[in-house]
Amino acid sequence: MIDYASHYLNRFRASLKIDQTIKDGVADELHAHLEDKSRELEEAGLSREEAYKVAVQSLGSPELLAQQVYETHAQGSWKEAFFSALPHFLVALLFASYYWQKAAALAIVLVLTVGIAIYGWQRGKPIWLFPWLGYYLMPVVITGILLLNLPQGWGWIAALIYIPLALFVLIHIMRQTGKRDWLYASLMLAPMPVIFSWFLPLSTGHGLMTSDAWVTRLQTQAPWIVTSFVALAAATIAFIRLKPRKYKIMSLLIPPLVILFAVTWVSRGSINLWGWVILAFSLSAVAVPVWMQARAQS
Amino acid sequence: MNYGRELLKGNTDSLLLCLISREPTYGYKVVKELEKRSNGYFQFKEGTLYPALHRLERENLIEGRWEILPNGQQRRYYYITEKGQQVLAARLATWQDFSTAVKAVMQTETA
Repeated sequence: MIDYASHYLNRFRASLKIDQTIKDGVADELHAHLEDKSRELEEAGLSREEAYKVAVQSLGSPELLAQQVYETHAQGSWKEAFFSALPHFLVALLFASYYWQKAAALAIVLVLTVGIAIYGWQRGKPIWLFPWLGYYLMPVVITGILLLNLPQGWGWIAALIYIPLALFVLIHIMRQTGKRDWLYASLMLAPMPVIFSWFLPLSTGHGLMTSDAWVTRLQTQAPWIVTSFVALAAATIAFIRLKPRKYKIMSLLIPPLVILFAVTWVSRGSINLWGWVILAFSLSAVAVPVWMQARAQS
Repeated sequence: MNYGRELLKGNTDSLLLCLISREPTYGYKVVKELEKRSNGYFQFKEGTLYPALHRLERENLIEGRWEILPNGQQRRYYYITEKGQQVLAARLATWQDFSTAVKAVMQTETA
């Protein structure tokens, strides 16, 4: 293939953040188009190089074309949007019904989540998979937090061993997801700020994990927790349905900021240093993939 | 914005469906056919065709299939679906009504 064509297709591929199979398919179609057009131009008397140059120009800007193709494929159906939001609605329902204290209900939701996440991962990572994948990762994170409760300093030792392993799993899945699109990694991690903000004691005067006080606090804050998960579900639906990338990014960034505001307001400004560290960490988990995306595009 | 370009933009899907309904075809041929049948009136950036074809495919109005030619070249041929035929029939009927009405009004104006 002449340099003009391969350079054009490389620019197109680099600009298109979409499922690899679709990306390859469109690039192959453009390649066939360029071959047809340049052959015809050569027959009309142009040199091979000129023919490819004209053929490439007739396709228009590769970046603009990639954006148009992205907007065609990036919009999920309403069915996909609701299925993507379903895990958030399920967690909201658990808290609205106070079933979150019943082990059987939690186990059903957990098994359902793990099953659906594995099914989606094996079925080529469809757009609805990523929020489910986020909850699939939650046991990994929560186990790490629970290890801190082991007695007499064992917690910290166990956590020091566990945290690198957990980070390895987390980063591996994030990178796999980021290969397709970093925004999906943010969508996957979107529940993290909500869970960390409401489930961990952020305010002064709370211990790290005191079970009775923790349960009471969660019961008191249940309406806020339900509201947060419903907001997350709404943001997920918006993310799936919106076409332009900038609107998708906005839909991802707005809920954590709203939740941060709500947590600060509920705690009446008494968030301690540990709380701020957790909040910053969980917010950065959502923001980092978006930043990676921006860096990749620049 | 150019009025003719706006009209083309609003009717691209119908034009594509119409061409594909006549015979299964591929991207480059669609461009050539549009140009030929319209006596050169419809000319647009060729790249914009592919997002339009993929949009129609996502709406299940057409279906793309890779085919290998005797010379080894691969092309993606588009076929109209049953749903596509129904949508095209409805759009043609609407277009004919619209065209008749516009013509009636315009002819009165220019008479």
